[in-house]
Amino acid sequence: MSFFRRSPWILHYDGSSCNGCDIEVLACLTPLYDVERFGVVNTGNPKHADILLVTGSVNERNVEIVENLYRQMPDPKVVVAVGACACSGGIFARAYNVQGGIDRVVPVDVYVPGCAARPERIIDGVVQGIAALEGKRAAMAAGRRRGALRPQSGSQPAGAA
Amino acid sequence: MDGERFLARVAAYRADGWRLSVINTTAVLPSDELPQGAFDISWSFALGTRLEHLRERVVPGEEVPSVSPSFPSAFLYENEMRELFGVDVTGIAVDLRGQLYRTATRVPFSPGAIRRRLEATGRLGDGARHAAKPQPRPTTEAGA
Amino acid sequence: MKRTIVPLGPQHPVLPEPLVLDLVLEDERVVDAVPTIGYIHRGLEAMVEKVEYTEMGFVAERICGICSFMHGMGFCASIEDIMGVEVPERARWLRLVWAELSRIQSHLLWLGLGSDAFGFENLFMHCWRMREEILDIFEATTGGRIIFSVNRIGGVKRDIADSELAGIAERLRALGERFAEIARVFRADPSIHHRLAGVGVLPAGEALAAGAVGPMARASGLATDTRLLGTHGYDRLDFEPVVEAGGDCLARVLVRLREVEQSIDLIRQLVDRMPKGDGQPIETRVRGLPDGETFMRLEQPRGEVVYYLKANGTKYLERFRARTPTFANIPAMISLVRGHDLADVPNIILTIDPCISCTER
Repeated sequence: MSFFRRSPWILHYDGSSCNGCDIEVLACLTPLYDVERFGVVNTGNPKHADILLVTGSVNERNVEIVENLYRQMPDPKVVVAVGACACSGGIFARAYNVQGGIDRVVPVDVYVPGCAARPERIIDGVVQGIAALEGKRAAMAAGRRRGALRPQSGSQPAGAA
Repeated sequence: MDGERFLARVAAYRADGWRLSVINTTAVLPSDELPQGAFDISWSFALGTRLEHLRERVVPGEEVPSVSPSFPSAFLYENEMRELFGVDVTGIAVDLRGQLYRTATRVPFSPGAIRRRLEATGRLGDGARHAAKPQPRPTTEAGA
Repeated sequence: MKRTIVPLGPQHPVLPEPLVLDLVLEDERVVDAVPTIGYIHRGLEAMVEKVEYTEMGFVAERICGICSFMHGMGFCASIEDIMGVEVPERARWLRLVWAELSRIQSHLLWLGLGSDAFGFENLFMHCWRMREEILDIFEATTGGRIIFSVNRIGGVKRDIADSELAGIAERLRALGERFAEIARVFRADPSIHHRLAGVGVLPAGEALAAGAVGPMARASGLATDTRLLGTHGYDRLDFEPVVEAGGDCLARVLVRLREVEQSIDLIRQLVDRMPKGDGQPIETRVRGLPDGETFMRLEQPRGEVVYYLKANGTKYLERFRARTPTFANIPAMISLVRGHDLADVPNIILTIDPCISCTER
C-alpha cells in the first residue's frame, strides 16, 4: 500500500468538450458522489498532479496545452480520457476543427466511455488509473534498483503531499 | 452594396432603441452567375417581441462596412465573419486581427472551403444545384 | 503609468472552461481586456454538410452540456417551422416542463460555481446537492443526466405519465422550501454583499447598446425575456420577467435566485393546466425534406438564443447557426471589467454565467 492508493491528485483539463463531461467531473466532487472522502483531490497545478483527466477532443488550438500540461506532471503519471470525445472525437470526430481523441497527443492509460460519461464511470476510471499508477511506480522502483531507469523529470514520485 | 445607405438604416435602428440580436453569414457556392460564390449576410435587430432583418449579398473581396459606429458590440460577430467566412469587414471597433479563433482550415466557411469539403464527400451536385436559387426576401417575425 | 498585460486563462480556477482574456493593467486597475477564444471551437455548424437534418438535432444538443435540452428543442422547432409540422399538444407541454427544469438545473449549477468563486465553498456544495435532485428527475423521465436526446422533429420521444408529473410537482415544491434557505443566505450574507454589491455595474442604456441578453440584461432593469413572445406554448402560462434594477454582480445573482423560484412555479402551472390522460400522441411523423429558412428564438437559462437554419430541399441543411446567449453577453462583460481591480475580474466574468462551448460551437 503506497500513498497513491490513498490519495491520488487529479488535474482536469477541458479539451473541446461540450461541458457535459466537465460538469460530471465536477459533480464527482460534490456531496452526492464526493470523491474527496476517498482522498481524491482536484488540483489546478500540473506539478502536483498524478492523474491527468481530460474531457473533450483535441483541436488546433488546445493541442499544445494538453501536451504542455502532461509534460509538466512528474513521473509516474497516468492519463484518463473521459467521455466519447476524449476517447475518439465522439460525435464531433467529423467536424473540421477536431483532430480526434487525446491519444493523438499524449499516451492514454484509461478510456472512460459515455456521452456524457456518468460520475460512477468517471470514478471507476480514476480507480483504474490508480492501479496503472501503482504499476508504473513499481516499474520505476525496480528500474532504480537496477540503476537502469531514471524518472524522466528527475523529480520525486509525486504522491499527495 | 451601398455602404452609406446601409449604415444609415442601421443607425435608424439604433436611434429607435433596437438591439443588435445577431449577424449571420451564409456562404453561397460558386456557380455560373457567381464564379467566386458569394455571402448572404443578414443583420437582425430586436425590439420587444419584434425581430427584423437587413440582408445583403456580397461577393468575396467586396467591402462590408462595420456597424460598430451604431453597435460597438458587433465586433465579435464581425471578427467571426472575417475569420470563418473571409468577408472583408472594414472599420471593426475591436480588431482582433485573426486571433479570435484559430482553426485548422483557414476561413472554413468560405465558398471555396465548403466546396472542397463537399467535393471530398461526393455531394457537390447537391450544393451547386441550389446555389443559383433566387435570394429569399428578408423575413420579419412580427409578434410571432 | 506602466502598463502590464496579465493573461487570464485558458486554465484558471474560476473558469471551468478555457477562455483567455488579456487584461491590460495599470497597477491593479484593469484598463482593457482583449478576448481570445477558439480552445473549444469544433466547427459543428459545418457538420450540416455531413450529417442529415434528421440527425443534426443530436449534434445541436451537444453544443453545450448545460443547455442541451434547449438546444435540441430549438433545432427541432426550427425544422418544424420550416416544414410546417404541427407538434402534438402533449409534446408541446412536455417540452416546456423539461425546458424549465433545465433552467432550474442551470441556475443551481451557476449559483454553486458563483459561490465557489466568491469564496463560499459550503454554499457551492449545497447548490450542487439540490441540482442532483433535478438530474434525478431528468434521469427518471429521459434516461440521461446531461444529454437527453428526447427531442424529435415533430415531437418528443418519451411521455411522462400523469402520476409521475404530479410527483415531479411535489418534489419541486419540497425543493423550493429547501431552496428558500439557500436563497436567504445569498440575500443576507454580508461577505457575499461585500464582494458583489456595487461591483461591475452595467447601466440599462449600456446593456441595450451592448446587446446584452438574459439575466444579464434583466439585472440591469431591461425586461427582455424571449418567453414573452408567447411562442412554444409560453402564452399559456402566467409569469412576469424577473427584473432587478441594480445592474451589479449582486443583482445578477438575485435575478437567478428569483428565476429558480419562478421556474418551480411555471412547472406547477404546466402540470396543473396540461390536458390529463396518458397515452396521448407525442410525436407527428415527419415526411419529406425541408426547404426554406427560419430564425428561431428561445429563452435559455443564460438568455436569448437565436437559431438560423437554411434548408434547400435536400437531406443536408445549407446553413445552421446558433447565436448563443454568452456570445451576445461577452461585449458587455469586456466593457464591465474596465476600471475594476484585478481581484474583481473573476466575479464579473462569472456573473455573466459564461458558457464557452456554446460561444465557440
